[in-house]
This record gives sequence, structure tokens and C-alpha cells, in this order.
Amino acid sequence: MSYTLRGRIESRVAAFVPVVLAACVLAAVEHRWWPVEAAALMLGVGLALDVQAYHRLFRYQPGWAALPLGALELALVLALMRAAGVAAPLGQAVALFAGGWLVSQLLAHAGFPLRRLTYSEDGGELGRLGEAAAVAAGAVLAAAGATAYALRPPVVHLASGVHQGPMVITRREVLVGEPGAVVRGGIVVRASGVTVKNVSVVGGDYGISVEHVHGTVLDGVSVSGARLDGIHVRLAGVVVKNCTVDMLGNELGQGIDISYNMDMGMSMVEGCTVTGGMDGITTHSSMSDIVRNQVSRTTERGISVTEMSMGTVMDNEVRDASGIGIWCNDRSMCMIEHNTVVDTRPGRDGPGFGVLASFQSEANLWENELGANPVASGAITQSEVSRARSFSYR
Amino acid sequence: MQAAIVGSGLAGFTAYQTLRRALAPEEIAVFGAEDDPAATFRRHAAAIRQREMRSESDGHCLPTSFPGLAFSSAVRRRSARPLLGTLCDRFHPTVDEFLAHVGRLRDRSGWERSFRPAAVERIRAVDGGFELDGHGTFRHVLVATGHPGLNVPEELRGDPRAVHSYDAHDYAPSVTVVGAGLAAATEWLNALAAGSEVVSVRRREPLRRPLNVPREYFSRRGLDGFHRLGPGERSARLHALLAPSYPPGRAWDEPLATAMTEDRYRVEQSVNGSEQVICATGFVHGYAHDALLAGLVADHDLETVDGWIILDCDGAVPALTDETRTLALAGVAAQWAFPAADTLAGARYLAHGFLGRIRSCRTR
Repeated sequence: MSYTLRGRIESRVAAFVPVVLAACVLAAVEHRWWPVEAAALMLGVGLALDVQAYHRLFRYQPGWAALPLGALELALVLALMRAAGVAAPLGQAVALFAGGWLVSQLLAHAGFPLRRLTYSEDGGELGRLGEAAAVAAGAVLAAAGATAYALRPPVVHLASGVHQGPMVITRREVLVGEPGAVVRGGIVVRASGVTVKNVSVVGGDYGISVEHVHGTVLDGVSVSGARLDGIHVRLAGVVVKNCTVDMLGNELGQGIDISYNMDMGMSMVEGCTVTGGMDGITTHSSMSDIVRNQVSRTTERGISVTEMSMGTVMDNEVRDASGIGIWCNDRSMCMIEHNTVVDTRPGRDGPGFGVLASFQSEANLWENELGANPVASGAITQSEVSRARSFSYR
Repeated sequence: MQAAIVGSGLAGFTAYQTLRRALAPEEIAVFGAEDDPAATFRRHAAAIRQREMRSESDGHCLPTSFPGLAFSSAVRRRSARPLLGTLCDRFHPTVDEFLAHVGRLRDRSGWERSFRPAAVERIRAVDGGFELDGHGTFRHVLVATGHPGLNVPEELRGDPRAVHSYDAHDYAPSVTVVGAGLAAATEWLNALAAGSEVVSVRRREPLRRPLNVPREYFSRRGLDGFHRLGPGERSARLHALLAPSYPPGRAWDEPLATAMTEDRYRVEQSVNGSEQVICATGFVHGYAHDALLAGLVADHDLETVDGWIILDCDGAVPALTDETRTLALAGVAAQWAFPAADTLAGARYLAHGFLGRIRSCRTR
């Protein structure tokens, strides 16, 4: 087909209408905005390539070219999603793109020619249908944007000073602490879609407790003096980033404990500093990524991924753990990459493993620095440690 | 009666299929000598022993490009091969597949109810339309009379050895083929396959391209620029675009290369002493060779350039077309509007334009 520029744009936008509608349905079902954001990026990338590249490069575009061009657009969309921080499950995002690509091919080869007699000789131009499609796509995106804007959670500012807790959050909101804002006695999150930002928590059974909710973001929080766990997550999906958890003096509590949320998608702990506690960061029956954290001076493991958990442990620094630096245990599957584990002491769990896989677990190790430990790595009780490059987010 | 098509060949037939989207068979009259729309094509294809169409999946007579012949071939053969072939522009329907397609369309479209076995020799503009040589007055008329005749070079007329490639013929032991287009290339291979020694005589080296004209000239991408050209430039561009060509590919090259090494194929500048001279020189060019078009130009003082009647972008004759009536050309005579007008895709393009005129007619 020899597209005109207008034909390319009209065909792309018209084929985008069912995709953006599907994205809206998916967003409504998942209660997340990534499908709409991804769809908007798909359209933006496609239109940019149409104008800047395809129209100039292809006076005639054979049918087979749709395949490599589609792969190129997919790669660009995924890269932009990552750069823009669109948190989409990779498989679903690829499926959305592939579905949209397939629909666009069916429409270009069959649907549009049947709908408009002169489609081919008009170089893909659709006339009024093209204009209507542009209006429809724009309206859907605008409506989605307006809805997102209208549904933004209210922002609650926590004034500087000490606030007596426990503070229980029962609605979707963004809690932002002013400099010097401290909650004494813990924070309990009981609503989905809550963000807690820049708040210090002192004391409480759990510093911050998140249970039976999804979409929680803990950003820049600081926890100290918790009697049990610093950050305690049960049956909930969370993103914890840029946090500080001080558990020094607490020999049995966990710094960050994310457990039993296997069916709630990926959770994430990123950029946190955890000091003390029994395990610095631990997951049980969870799919979690543990990335770029600093864990030190724990009474047992630095990081443990256990009880059939799956996830990536990457770019972390673990110092002065007892027995095991990073532990992949109990039928878990762990990708352990680019971590530094040093000064692990002999302890109750072992002589001081940098990394240990145990009880039918599989750990994939790649480019970790484990030398400064009594035992760099090990696998026991029908477990396996492999050293092949696996898929990496890095 | 709304519309008339003068000419019952493939261009008229394709236009008829498009008109049937809006009109009943009783509202369309088709005038022609033969009720089989593929009769002329069938004779020509048989004469040069053509087995595959040069056109691709959309070389058919349906009003929409989908479903193309690749799709129907895939369904019939229960194979994805034709579809994969068309994605790579390598699907060419066989002549038999194409003729079967025409036959099916003819049976189901009401063609027989619209066909009138009559030759129209004169078209006269009258109030409310066009009077067709005593066959009635029609508001919208499409002239699709096809190629006006076979072209035999002046110096070979009357030569008993000469035969035109589109006339039935066998091959002598030594054959000279005059021409450089698809028919000539087909004749080279046919004669070589028949065991003949072949001499190619041509004025220029043939172009190698998949279709009659570059692909962008099948859509607005190339046509917009073409339509903006002034008459002189457009005529020159048409001469360049319509230069003889045949498709690239090993199927053409390898037999010729083998025959050259065996001294059975060579290129010469003039006709030599071969026992047979095949004129693969196509058709005569220009409206003046078509009595109906020549009369139309003379009667209505139509504007012409280098043998072409000046047309609007959709094939309509501007001097005889307004909001109430349409006179348009299709087929080879409409190359002024669409350089590949003598192809099936061209016939469809012009049919779409004609239907558009009828739909926008104020008095319809």
C-alpha cells in the first residue's frame, strides 16, 4: 500500500479506537491506569514514527513490513513506559500491544477497504470516518484523562510536629508529611490506593501496617522503634521506596515483611535503608522485587525470599548479617544479581553464607560480590544455584 | 435507466460490479459485442500462452480491494501460502483462477440482465444526458471500449512472416520477437520452450518492474503529483511511465541466460531473416484509432493532448460532465486520469470515480 501521510494518520487513529476502548475496560477491571497510559503511548509513538520516519522512508509499504515495524514500535513503547514510570505488567502490556497491532492489521487489510470503496487508492485516507475516529480517540483519551484527574485521591498534609497514633487511614488518600512530621504509635493502612509520603513513624507494634488492600505506596517514610515489624504487609500489594527502617535493639522483628500477597501482582522494595532486626527484608509467598537497598546489622538474615516466593534481588548491599546474607528458601525462585554481600557472621543458620539456597529452592546468581564472607554461596536440601544470565530489569 | 456502460470487456465489467453497489441491474445498460467480459482477455492470454497474471491479489473485478484473489485462493486451497505470498507481493493468481473469478461474478451479479448486444457508434450530448446511437438517453455514461487495435510496426505490415503476439500462432524454428514488454518476454520464453532459436529486436532495454507502473501511482500518494502536472508534462510523464516493462525475477532471467550460453537467444537491432516475426508490440495508441472516441472528440470539440482526451482526475470528461450528468472514460483511454487505467486496479479506480459522480448527482 502506498499511504499518504494523512492516510497513515487516519488509518492509525481509526484502528486505535478499539484499542483505547479495550484499554479503558482493562483499566476499569484492574483499577489501574497503566492500560490507558500504555495505549496513549502506543498512539503517540505510532504517530511520531508515521510523521518523522515512515512517510519519508516508504513510498510503498509491503504487507510484511508491518511485522518489523510493529516490533520496533513495541520496543519504543516499552522503553517509554519504563522511562515514564508506567508500572505495567510486562506480559499484559505486550498482550495489549499485540492485540492492538492485530486489530490494526485486520482493519487495514479488510475492515477499512470493505467500509470505504476507495480506501486503497486514497492511500489509506478514510474521509469522514477518519475524522470521526480522530474525534472518538481524542474524546476517549480526554475522558480518561479527565476521569484520572477527577479521581485523584485527596492530598492530606501532616503538619510538622508529633502526632499521637496509631493513625488509621480508612480512605484513598495521599498523606504527605511536612518536614518534621512524626507519628507516634504507628500507621495502619485500611484502604486501597493510599500513598504515605515523607512521614516519620516512631514506635507502635508495627511501624506501618498494610493489610488486605492494594495499590499502597510508601515513599520516603522513616520507621523506628517498632515492637514487631518496621513495615508489615499482609495480603496486600505495595511499593516501598526510599524508606529508612531502624530496628536496632529489636532482635525478633523484621525490618520489612511482605507476605502472602502472591495473587496481588508484583510488590517492590526499592532504595530503602534497613538497620537491625531479625531479617532486614523478608518475603513469604510473595512476588516481590527487592532492589537497590542497604541492609545491615541484622540478628539473622539480611534479605530472605522464602515460602514459595518469586522475585528479583538486585543491586542490594548487605552487611554484617548473621548466618546468611541473602537467603532463597522453601521452594522459592530467586534471581540474585549485582548484589554486594560482605561481613556475614557465623550464626544460627550457618557459618556465614553470602547467598544460600535451601529446601528445594532455585537461585540464579549473576555478578554478585560475595567474596568477603566465610562461605560465598551454597545450596542445600535439594536446592540449586545456577550462574547463567537470566532476564534482567537492569 | 440511470447509467450506461459502453463496452463489455473487463473494464466495463469491473465498472458494472461497482455500480451494482448502488443500482439494480435494470438501472444499468451495458452495450457490447460479446456477453463474455473476459472474451478478449481470454484470446490474448491464450495467444501468448500466459499462465499467471501480472497483477497481484487485488487484480480482480470486485468493487473493494478486499477480499482479494489471494484470500479466495487461500480459502479454496485451505492453505495460508497465498496470503503469505500476497504479504510479500509475490502472489500472482493463475489465468484460470482469474477467469473462474470473472465467471462467478458474471453469474451472480445480474450482468446478463443488463447486457445489450449492440455496438454504439456515436454518443451525443443532449438535455438530461447522452443519446447513445438510437439506444436511448442515459444520464450517466461510462465509455470503456478498450484497446482500439493491435499495433503492428509499419515496416512489417504485409510481411507474410509477421504475426501479432495476440493472434493465435505456433513457433517456427527461428523466431524474431519485436518488442520489450511483458508480451515480448513471454514470447521469448515460449519460443525457447518450443525449441526455437530466438532473436529479440527492440528499440530500448526493457524496464523491470513488478506492475505496469510504479506502485505509488496506484494511490493518491503518486497520483496527486501526477494530477498537478500541466498537459505537456503529464503527457511526457505518461510516455515514461508506460514504457515497456516486465517483472524482475529468476523465472524470467534464468531461461534467457541459459539460452544465451547455448546461442539460442540474442538481441539484434533489426529484423533479420527469421522464418517468423512475432510482433509483441501491444496496441495502437490514441483516441483517434477508436471511432467512437474520435467521433466524440469531433462532435463536442473536446480538448486533447498527444492522443489523449483531457480528463478530470476521476476519468470524467470535463466538458460533458456537470452536476446533472456524467460522461467518463475507463480502460486504456483513461490513462490521462490514471496511468494504470488499462489494469484491473485502474478499472476499479475509474469505476469508483464514476459511481461517486452518480451518487453526487443532484437529479439522481
